[in-house]
Amino acid sequence: MKKLFVLGMLALAGLALAQPKVFKGTEVGKQGGTLRIATISDPRTFNPFVARETSSTDVIAGPSCGNIFPILTNYNPYTLQPEGCLATSWEVRNNGLTVIFKLRQGAKWSDGQAIDADDVVFSASVHADQKVNSNNRSSFVLDGQPIKWSKVDQYTVRADFPKPYAPALIQGWPIAPEHIFGPAYRQGPEKLQALYNLDTPPAQIVSGGAFLIDSYAKGERIVLKRNPSYWGSDEKGNSVAYLDRYTFNIVSNTEAQLARFLGGDTDLYAAPDGDKVAQVLERIRSNRLSGQIFPNADVTTGTNFITFNWNNKDSFKANLFRQVKFRRAMAYLMDKKSMIDVAQGGLGRPQWSPISIPVRQFFTDDVAKYEFSPQKAAQLLAELGFRTKNKDGFLVNAQGQVLEFNLATNQGNTLRERIAQIFADEAKKIGVKVNYRPIDFNELVRQLTTPAADGTREFDAILIGLTGSIDPAFGRNTWQLNGSLHMWNLGMNGQNPTRVEPFEVLIDKLMTQGATTLDPAKRREIYNQFQKVVAENLPVIYTVAPAYNPARLNRIGGLFDKDQVSAIVGQYPYIETVFTKD
Amino acid sequence: MWSYIVRRLVQLVPTFFGATLLAFIIIQLAPGDFVTRLELDPTQTRESIASLRQEFALDQPWTVQYAKWVSGVLQGKLGLSLSYKADVWKVIWPRILNSMVLVVLSTLLIYLIAIPVGVYSAIRQYSVGDRILTVLAFIGVAIPNFFFALIMLFIAVWLNDTTGLKILPIGGMTSEFVGGVPYLEAPWWQRTLNVLWHALPVVLVLATTGTAGLIRVMRGQMLEVLNQDYIRTARAKGVAERVAIYKHALRNAVIPIVAGIGFLLPALIAGAGLIEVVMAWPGITPMLLDAISATDLYLVMGFITVTTILLMLGNLLSDLLLAWVDPRIRYN
Repeated sequence: MKKLFVLGMLALAGLALAQPKVFKGTEVGKQGGTLRIATISDPRTFNPFVARETSSTDVIAGPSCGNIFPILTNYNPYTLQPEGCLATSWEVRNNGLTVIFKLRQGAKWSDGQAIDADDVVFSASVHADQKVNSNNRSSFVLDGQPIKWSKVDQYTVRADFPKPYAPALIQGWPIAPEHIFGPAYRQGPEKLQALYNLDTPPAQIVSGGAFLIDSYAKGERIVLKRNPSYWGSDEKGNSVAYLDRYTFNIVSNTEAQLARFLGGDTDLYAAPDGDKVAQVLERIRSNRLSGQIFPNADVTTGTNFITFNWNNKDSFKANLFRQVKFRRAMAYLMDKKSMIDVAQGGLGRPQWSPISIPVRQFFTDDVAKYEFSPQKAAQLLAELGFRTKNKDGFLVNAQGQVLEFNLATNQGNTLRERIAQIFADEAKKIGVKVNYRPIDFNELVRQLTTPAADGTREFDAILIGLTGSIDPAFGRNTWQLNGSLHMWNLGMNGQNPTRVEPFEVLIDKLMTQGATTLDPAKRREIYNQFQKVVAENLPVIYTVAPAYNPARLNRIGGLFDKDQVSAIVGQYPYIETVFTKD
Repeated sequence: MWSYIVRRLVQLVPTFFGATLLAFIIIQLAPGDFVTRLELDPTQTRESIASLRQEFALDQPWTVQYAKWVSGVLQGKLGLSLSYKADVWKVIWPRILNSMVLVVLSTLLIYLIAIPVGVYSAIRQYSVGDRILTVLAFIGVAIPNFFFALIMLFIAVWLNDTTGLKILPIGGMTSEFVGGVPYLEAPWWQRTLNVLWHALPVVLVLATTGTAGLIRVMRGQMLEVLNQDYIRTARAKGVAERVAIYKHALRNAVIPIVAGIGFLLPALIAGAGLIEVVMAWPGITPMLLDAISATDLYLVMGFITVTTILLMLGNLLSDLLLAWVDPRIRYN
């Protein structure tokens, strides 16, 4: 009796202290089992302040609340609205200039120490430190001014913004244990950077996330194991993660990755092209693989577009590229159907708007579309004075200048190479001389981002892509006049370009408004207008978005079904609620 | 002999500086640096890009970078990898060890097969056996390694499929579980067997091309020696054919092959090339390709340094071996 009483008291005490986060999976699962995935390369570090490549961040951060190092808030995978991870609640004050985050009480590091405000504020200060060069530094600077983090009490932190910031509630930077990183940091940034490298014994790595590092075999696999002291539970109050083990197999070749999945050696896979989709389909249909694949379930957030250089050394070309009629003519030459059928094996979707299609809370399809039409292109070019063809069959204007430009893309990206080829072929048919040439990626970036002393840049046109972000505010660098990726018309040394068009000023204004407006409905309206202005004026001309073709083995549960999978969230809402059925 | 060795070792010094300087210049000639690809990340500001360049000293002239690097090497430090933020030697050594498994096994296999087969082909010149072996050898030389590796992967998947068993591994070096327990907890002999099982298809691929080439060399050498006067003399004296071939001919024919052993030293480190990428073997090649595409300057330089030193030592060793097996060669 006494024993029962003590147990009851302990249970009550536990409830009073701990505030577990409830992870609502697609179904209630069971404990145990291993999830096996393939990753393209080794992690470079386990240190959250050094990690830069996705090969490192996928292991220590991951898409959920953090595999090893927890984060304050994230997007809810079902609604894409902010959701608490380590933060239980928040309060916006001061017209949005201040946000107070309440932390989860009872959350512990795997060495038993409490995760509290000291860890959060310390991690924020290290990420913000210019000497550390954390990849998350941009989360702590808003238009050149710092975002300040401070401790209110043990379980409350406060963030002060220099101006209202719409994505203020998304704080997805990894939080590290102060009692481990603090002493090293006080001895200098190099000491801090040397912690948690690949030679650190896994048992010494303290975790505050769903998993612990179990083992790492270089070049082969990283095995994570369940963190028994994690602060999460499922809807029924069972502790998560369900998985005992979560294995990242390092397979650096995409053919070998396919072979692993076909052989049943990995559980989740995303087929990168039509050929690999067909192989997976064939194998599932012939009952040699117990799994599912959803071809074209979504498109990736990555974009592929052509941008013209308005700062061209050749003033004829610079002026031509500035003409919206010219860019619309080029847009009319984009045979997006062929780009999908020929370049992507029938998978993917045409893209018209600057916001990635999977970003559903902001994406709009209601924008100007310049559907493939060589006649309309020819007509627009005639209006620009290119009416006659020379003896080689290329268009010339009254001054005898030939309509000609170079088009470059990065060598080795077969998708972009094919898209560029299709565009160049169509252009040639109506007499536009496109000299297509693939070049080295670094050289491409140099030409794009490095103006000469007089502000001109070398290239004519470049086909390239950017990773789309889940919040358009994170892409301001591309759209604001002084942005370092304002690639069609680039200013010098962080200044605005010397000559700007009215629509660029409008885009700049909309981006600033979008980043500082807190009302979601108003934000949506702003970004709708932004998408319309870009689609109409075409500072960059979008091509086609590659397909997202997720596949899984049937032994895995807790995954999204076909209608729910998305390129942003992935195949499951939370890693915590993924489980194995066998 | 000792003065010869000392002289050769002294010659290594300028060669070493020349080779590394050249490598450094070539890497610098390629456009961009470690930070370049971050410039296309919309969340990175100009300021953070500049600050990164400063941290990695990439904003300094290459001469300064090279001088700093060389002074580090002279103190026995290969430098700090930009992406791993760790000592280069610590980063590459475990990968080199993994590659050595393949290189040692395949080299042994190559010599074990190629020398006897080459001798057979030579003494039975133009026989049916020789012709079949010659055709096979030409096929072996003609198939590119990486392509053969892809076929091997296909065979592995097909074989496992039709039998429903795991007969061949599909890439990798170890299994996650061995005998029901995680790999690291299995007894050492099970782990060794597991690695050997994973190495089997890779070594077969590697050995095919190597064997095919060496068979041709061995056959040619043997034929040349068999046509020499002293073999005719030996035969005329009534020496048994077996003795003539194995005692007199083979010993002389094998000299160039023995001399080539020194070149195995850098080969041990250099890994098995693209095969490692295709078969997901955690060797040095996949890591080096990563480092090159990321322009991780010091990781690439560190690897080049190690291979350069071993190449030079291997050369020296080859010359010494040659002098040892062939009395006609003098130290000069």
